[in-house]
Amino acid sequence: MKGAELVLKVLQQHGVDSIFGYPGGAIMPIYDALYQSSVKHYLCRHEQGGAFSAIGYARASGKVGVCMATSGPGATNLITSLADAMLDSVPVVAITGQVSQAVMGTDAFQEIDVLGLSLAVTKHSFMVRSVDELAATLNDAFAIALSGRPGPVLVDIPKDVQLAELDYQPEATTSVRPVPVATSLANAAKARALIAGAKKPVAYIGGGVHMAGAMPQLQQFLAANPMPSVTTLKAMGSVAKDNAHYLGMLGMHGTQAANLAVQQCDLLICLGARFDDRVTGNLQKFAPLAKVIHVDIDPAEINKVRFADAALLGDMQQILPAISAGTDCADWLNHCAQLKQQYGWRYDHPGERIYAPLMLKQLSERMPDNSVVACDVGQHQMWVAQHMRFSHPRNHLSSGGLGTMGFGLPAAIGAKLARPQDTVITVTGDGSFMMNVQELATIKRFRLPVKIVVIDNQRLGMVKQWQQLFFNARYSETDLSDNPDFVALAAAFAIPGHCITRKDEVESALEAMFTWPGPYLLHVCIDDKDNVWPLVPPGAANEDMITEAKA
Amino acid sequence: MNHILHITASNTPAVVERLLQVTRYRGYQLTGLQMTPRADSRSVAIRLSVSGDKPIHLLTSQLHKLYDVQQLELAGSELAVLSA
Ligand SMILES: Cc1ncc(C[n+]2csc(CCOP(=O)(O)OP(=O)(O)O)c2C)c(N)n1
Repeated sequence: MKGAELVLKVLQQHGVDSIFGYPGGAIMPIYDALYQSSVKHYLCRHEQGGAFSAIGYARASGKVGVCMATSGPGATNLITSLADAMLDSVPVVAITGQVSQAVMGTDAFQEIDVLGLSLAVTKHSFMVRSVDELAATLNDAFAIALSGRPGPVLVDIPKDVQLAELDYQPEATTSVRPVPVATSLANAAKARALIAGAKKPVAYIGGGVHMAGAMPQLQQFLAANPMPSVTTLKAMGSVAKDNAHYLGMLGMHGTQAANLAVQQCDLLICLGARFDDRVTGNLQKFAPLAKVIHVDIDPAEINKVRFADAALLGDMQQILPAISAGTDCADWLNHCAQLKQQYGWRYDHPGERIYAPLMLKQLSERMPDNSVVACDVGQHQMWVAQHMRFSHPRNHLSSGGLGTMGFGLPAAIGAKLARPQDTVITVTGDGSFMMNVQELATIKRFRLPVKIVVIDNQRLGMVKQWQQLFFNARYSETDLSDNPDFVALAAAFAIPGHCITRKDEVESALEAMFTWPGPYLLHVCIDDKDNVWPLVPPGAANEDMITEAKA
Repeated sequence: MNHILHITASNTPAVVERLLQVTRYRGYQLTGLQMTPRADSRSVAIRLSVSGDKPIHLLTSQLHKLYDVQQLELAGSELAVLSA
């Protein structure tokens, strides 16, 4: 057997059913082996799109996403998506072809130092030097991608290794399990004392909870220790819909109730989150009165930006029950319930034009249970987080750490392939959509019934909003009023669509989109003046949110 | 503040680059570097001197996450030994 065939064998052993990629010279042996393989390959139309599909697949399913590219430009096209997976801790294995070892280091055609490029954007990376180490290296790649805090791993395979013959002996045990994490409960008693003594506790929930498979433990913890909870962008959907004390997302575009509760709390229980600057605003002024309990799987997150009075490292499933102490904070719960009521969203927007927050609320209410929403980056992304409700974080795919425009459409493709039974919707902006618009061809080829909602304000809206607020309304290079006709564009890929401009068209348009059995594009035109509120200005504390009324 | 780190790492092609990349990215300056492959050549002993204003645990905790790093000791410090 050749190295190239072995690659596919190992992928099969890891249960990989779908891979996303694009061929080229240095990876041709693997594509040749693919020709007869039962592993299903989905041809993307840009390697960045393929890798985003692998991310969407991984985030929607919890499995490892796999993507492939050739050497040189194929590999460099993966970099942005790997960086995205790195910052959002997504388990991805990227396989790249490399020129033969005989010419490596000579600036050969399509040779670039991929291992060198990978250092800043992967959890780990390998260059395979001999076919004898190929299977073990790929096994390691899967184990590393899934172990501890998940992340992307790149395996660069020179062409001579792909072509080399080996005498393949299937190993007795091939499934490589992620390395179990050591859990330290040394500070559990301290954490319990802090929780039992707190008058104003808040749970600050990040993506680490669901990635640890600790959603049931989280609900039990919140039931046994009633307290207000807030989530990060990545954790939307972590708190059960019937939990009355949930306050929504915190941070720059969080709800006022969430931000005020965190600013006032005396104990912040950070679960699988990392005090990101979009969450904390001015760090010195963030939750100034709070003691902190920090639970995470990554030791490097403890005391990185905020001191933890009690830190617990390891498996969230074990730690949550171990820190349960019972709370007694009825006044605080009432106070936060009042905040929630006082600052609740309002949808009574004047005029005929479509109000995106209301439209997204209608979409949220109309979409089938367990639908996946993949969004892009910008104002529409924040509106999705604010106005849609999710029953699980795997149903809300949003580029959090890297904030990568172009994420939504290919991520939706990956999600649809991972979960063919579930409805998959991408909510994108007119700017973001164009960044990986070529993936409409992938949707067309595989007849993927992905629903595409383009929220069109004819602007790079989020940048425009900052120009308006912080750069004296000097709108430098954010006008997109010469956008293509999105419905016609979709039609070129055999995707039907419809354009709406008025509020009273929304319900029937959503109905038509969901009733249509295949892919569909809904072009939603909104006012370019609409902005995202509330907003914590740069450098400000989270209680100093600007609202529409104040702006 | 100057710090000296004694690191044992797998002798893989990019291991030194990884250490240096993390050191630079996390905001520390390199002030010295020595490396000696161990007898079996499977691992290397590295002595990394760095200076920086931030607490050194912000660097050691990140270096420690590198898959190739087997052991990391901070010379002359209390929270010294962290083994992989
Ligand atoms: C790849 C990339 N380039 C640039 C940016 C900076 N950026 C953030 S939001 C945004 C505007 C997005 O416009 P659009 O997709 O139309 O969404 P809107 O904000 O209008 O809802 C830009 C340019 C980015 N996040 N990603």
